[in-house]
Amino acid sequence: MRWSYLAPRLTLIVLVWAFFFFAFDPILKWGLIKGMEKGAGARAEIASVKTTIFPPSLAVKGLAVGDAAAEYTNLCEFASLDFRMEGRPLLEKKFVIDRAALAGLKFGTPRQTSARLPLAKKEPPSEFSRKLQAESKDFALDRAADVKADALSAYTVNPDDLESVKLAKELERKFDEDYKQLFEKADMQRYQARMDALKAAYDKAKDEKNFARQAKDYAAAAKELKKLTEDFKRDKADLERAMAEAKAALKSVEEARRKDTAAVMGKMKLPSLDKESLGRMLAGPAIAGKADKAMKWAAIARRYMPQNATAKTMAREAARGRVVHFPKDKAWPSFLIRELALSGELNLDAPLAYEGRIEGITTQPRLYGKPLVADIKGAQGRRRLQANALVDATGDTLEARALVSYSGMAVSGLQLGSESSVQVTIGGTGSFDGKFAAAGEALSGRGTFNIAGASFAPKADAVKTPQLRSALLGAFSGLDTASIWADLGGTVKAPKFSVGTDLAAALAAGFSRALGAELKKAQDAAAAKVDAALEPYKKRLDALTSSKEAELKEKLGAGQQSMDSFADSLKEKASPGKIKLPKLKL
Amino acid sequence: MNPLGILRQFIKGLTSDTDPRQIGWGIAIGFVIGLIPKGNLTAQLLLVLLMALKVNIPMGLITMFLVSFVNPLADKLTDPLGYALLTAEPLAPLWTALYNMPVMPWTGFNNTVLLGGLLAGAALFVPVFFAGRAFGVYYNATLRDRVMNSKFVKSMKASMLFDWYFKEGV
Repeated sequence: MRWSYLAPRLTLIVLVWAFFFFAFDPILKWGLIKGMEKGAGARAEIASVKTTIFPPSLAVKGLAVGDAAAEYTNLCEFASLDFRMEGRPLLEKKFVIDRAALAGLKFGTPRQTSARLPLAKKEPPSEFSRKLQAESKDFALDRAADVKADALSAYTVNPDDLESVKLAKELERKFDEDYKQLFEKADMQRYQARMDALKAAYDKAKDEKNFARQAKDYAAAAKELKKLTEDFKRDKADLERAMAEAKAALKSVEEARRKDTAAVMGKMKLPSLDKESLGRMLAGPAIAGKADKAMKWAAIARRYMPQNATAKTMAREAARGRVVHFPKDKAWPSFLIRELALSGELNLDAPLAYEGRIEGITTQPRLYGKPLVADIKGAQGRRRLQANALVDATGDTLEARALVSYSGMAVSGLQLGSESSVQVTIGGTGSFDGKFAAAGEALSGRGTFNIAGASFAPKADAVKTPQLRSALLGAFSGLDTASIWADLGGTVKAPKFSVGTDLAAALAAGFSRALGAELKKAQDAAAAKVDAALEPYKKRLDALTSSKEAELKEKLGAGQQSMDSFADSLKEKASPGKIKLPKLKL
Repeated sequence: MNPLGILRQFIKGLTSDTDPRQIGWGIAIGFVIGLIPKGNLTAQLLLVLLMALKVNIPMGLITMFLVSFVNPLADKLTDPLGYALLTAEPLAPLWTALYNMPVMPWTGFNNTVLLGGLLAGAALFVPVFFAGRAFGVYYNATLRDRVMNSKFVKSMKASMLFDWYFKEGV
């Protein structure tokens, strides 16, 4: 045995071992921290990372990710994450974990050090959040008491400043383009060439002497006629749908008109007293921050959630070149956690321990063939938490639904409204029920927060008039429940939120009691001014849609007649009994 | 191979293994590694091969980095080449068998650029070797002394740590 031969090889083995023993875990830990900091835009910490090769396993302890929006708060933290990977799939570059355990998961915990990253840009609040906050803050009450109907007489409304006018102009421009396309689509010239060819085919078939060939030609022509009528039918349905959509778009002008009226009232320092505006003023600030956070989590989840198996597979393809896949005897998804046991605490003031499991976390759901299922439960005293979710991406489109129910929570110091207008602090026992769904890109859902045995402490320091202040402060007396809700709609790329509360009705009644008909008159005057400014644009838009719609309907009717008579003429040409022509019901 | 080991080989290779043939081999292997994506087992094995053979390592590494810079252009050739091979009907049983073998997916053989790069590298290996050997003659005649007298190499050689690590000297 030669030591000169053995020594370098032993040294190499020792070096490899030393690398994995001393350097691998710190490098992995550093990589994880940097990855999370990049994703969250805030500092992240990990107490320790431990890996083993036989069996392949990973244990992460003491992870905390800071909140980019709150310097001394963690977005989330957990005590430990442990899992073991299966060896055989790993040899095929697949990360399959049968069971994983995530313990001590908490959200919004305080942190000792700043979470701000050097040079990191501060994340601005979303447009939705900013609007809600501003609407509540700017809710006008200053002159509510001395309002007179003629207060608006001197106020001039500039049409170019109105959202409804801007929208009407935009729709007019859009309709001009859309109708041009629709007319092109409704033009029978598009079908004329096919109709001529079909007529020629029938004529040729009619003159054919060979009976078998004639039957074959008739069959081919009948097939083409069927296709032609189907195409026409589909185009007609598309046109009718487009016309209906154009009409529906006009409703948005009406919605914008209402908001413009409220804005004019606001500029005159007069409050808009419709329940929607009052609801947004009261519930907006409380919900804006939470909605922002929910949207952030949804965006993170969406980033890692495949729309379908194919989409994710394509997205994770190599940076250079293309990856060609071949049939597999046994295929594992690229990443799969079959079951993740979850435990942690919610609500840091009065912690509620919860536990549950999430099954089927994978990057290739279609390959795995099972949807992601989550089930989380928690109970402590009167408090109950129950959350279920199902995300099915095994088909062509993503289908997801989630139910969350949290009841029996103590509510104290919940503030609605804004100090610059009316603010009410609520206490009681709260319960939250949420139901959310996604089908492809479309979102829907509603979250309702109910407070029973409620106590109200209203504050209206911004209102200087004693009579109005006393009416507003008294608006909540006699109430012992409150309900706040947020609706979700729109699409993943453009989600739409709306908020409301039943307290808006009480507040509106308080205003009415204090201000009587004067404010209503002022509101009518503001609406009249907005209407007058909008009128010419609305008229033009109405005229455009009505005339174009009538013209389009006429064209479609003529087209249908032409298609019907064409089919009838062909029927006459074809010998009865020889070929069955399709029935045309357009 | 640890980073210190690569540095050691790099400095050492500037003066030893400078036979034109060794330089040619180093450049040819570095050329192949440079053509293919690096995050896979194939590239790592080729890198180990470069380190293990008695070839000029610095020239191999320099060639690898230089070729990596022209990868966007090279991919335009290697991608369709690899795709044609991977989708060729007669070869389908071979690829399927490899795809079902353990460890093979780590080699990234089913990446069009990797397979095309390997093939292009193999086809150009001999011409690149000859070109590299010619460069080796030129390097020994004109560049070697200038490299050895450069501030970088001198400062490395002057450090105590370096002296201790390279006991036999360079």
